[in-house]
Amino acid sequence: MKETLANSVAAPVPLRAGAGLKPKHYQAIIEQRPDIGWFEVHPENYMGRGGPPLSYLERIRMDYPLSLHSVGTSLGSHLPLDVAHLNNLKALVERFQPGLISEHLSWSHGYEWYTHDLMPLIYTEESLKLIVEHIDQVQECLGRTILIENPSSYLQFKQSEIPEQVFYVEAAKRSGAGLLLDINNVFVSCSNHGWSVEEYIAAVPHEMVGEIHLAGHSIQDLQGTRLRVDDHGSPVCAEVWQLYQSYINANGALPTLIEWDSNIPEFTELYAEVRFAEEFMNRTSESCHEATL
Amino acid sequence: MKPLSELQQMFCDGLRSSAPPSTLLLNEIVDDGLQLERFNVYRNNFVVLNGDALADMYPVIKRLLGAEAFRLLATAYVRDYPPMDRALLLYGERFADFLAAVPELSGLPYLADVARLEFAWTAAYHADDVAVLGQHQVAALSPDALENLRLQPHPSMHCISSDYPIYSIWLANQDGQMEETISLDEGGSQVVVIRPKVEVEVREVSPGSLAFLQSLAFGETIGTAYTRAVEMDAEFDLHAFFARHLFDGTFCELQNQGTTD
Repeated sequence: MKETLANSVAAPVPLRAGAGLKPKHYQAIIEQRPDIGWFEVHPENYMGRGGPPLSYLERIRMDYPLSLHSVGTSLGSHLPLDVAHLNNLKALVERFQPGLISEHLSWSHGYEWYTHDLMPLIYTEESLKLIVEHIDQVQECLGRTILIENPSSYLQFKQSEIPEQVFYVEAAKRSGAGLLLDINNVFVSCSNHGWSVEEYIAAVPHEMVGEIHLAGHSIQDLQGTRLRVDDHGSPVCAEVWQLYQSYINANGALPTLIEWDSNIPEFTELYAEVRFAEEFMNRTSESCHEATL
Repeated sequence: MKPLSELQQMFCDGLRSSAPPSTLLLNEIVDDGLQLERFNVYRNNFVVLNGDALADMYPVIKRLLGAEAFRLLATAYVRDYPPMDRALLLYGERFADFLAAVPELSGLPYLADVARLEFAWTAAYHADDVAVLGQHQVAALSPDALENLRLQPHPSMHCISSDYPIYSIWLANQDGQMEETISLDEGGSQVVVIRPKVEVEVREVSPGSLAFLQSLAFGETIGTAYTRAVEMDAEFDLHAFFARHLFDGTFCELQNQGTTD
């Protein structure tokens, strides 16, 4: 099993829909080998010394391309990056040869402990400089470029002086990274802060985007104000599907991930959502194809 | 303007605190009258996400205490001992000691040892994958060499000795088990948690077997470990132990340095 992987090169993530890989679905995927373009995992869940998760991932990687979506680097933290964590990430990259590697525009490390939830950045020139240095350091360590994902957030800091979408694009431009555009996060943040979704998306250069994320969110009522909370615990909502459709109609299809992290459904439900996204992608590429004829 | 470090630390103080965030912190948030509620989404996520990781590791403790009490204790634990690692795989290492120190739980004295068993389960699950001892390796040894052998238990092995029947308690609270009453008069139990290959195994063993395995794990020879085991438990039977455990994945493959000179 190890030999097969050692001999393989990074399989590119194809222009198809993929799914977040969850332990409760390992068995179904190995038995049914569903027609899914690729899988994505949080590398931090595979940083044990050994054990079944690594063997399952090795088995599934033999049949599918993989994307590593890190949640633990804490790119926006005032503290230095953790070299041991970067080395663990590098070891997983070497072992599993992912087609894509991504991390969040966020931080989780303010003291010696970790929040494990993605915390909001302050959008200033100071924090932009810092995050660019940290992205550089990750890319240098891995010897590859990574994609940076736009966050979902629930509050804004008074000190912020750069619009989020400008900060997001600029962080990638200055570090040579690509962008992971999470359309649900755009919708959640814009809705929570009263920003324009159209302006946000228009500020993101399409040629820098290497992957799209879609997920569900929940709605909390704060004294009559709706707050959207990005909990990845329900199907993608209609508004986000609509935004996704217009985005790929305007710009062309991109590898698209369906993400679930809580209330994880049976595999058949996840699979149906992945097929649904791929339907949109197919229709887009057909119309592109017709246009070129 | 506050430096980034100060703001992020202030934010972390607010996340971890059981008290509402300081006015100083709330004053840094864009004012729409909902600063407190907006911050509390993060404060709540922090204890819920990390508390969920604890619940995944301690399903039996959760079942014994009930979901509501477990959530309260998990929240207190997350605030007292926030994650020190970027991966959450082994988060909750101090939960057993934490439970033992909660005065309201003094009526459930077995709880901490059950928690130790559950932590051992997850630690074994993520432990190194190491080849287990095979018959061909032992067949090649002379009886003298066997006595001086430093037989290494599998690195996933954890030994737990309790004054309470934690094996029965753990077993009765697995999915699909019938409700049953366990009497604390059953007495103590010795438990070995180990993952030779894919599945984690939880085994109840005799006091002598536990002492024998602990001595071997400490690097003693079979001869010395046997002496320790018999001191602990006069009924320890080495032949019966090996007949059952020599090739069941309890031990690693022999290394060259496995024998003494």
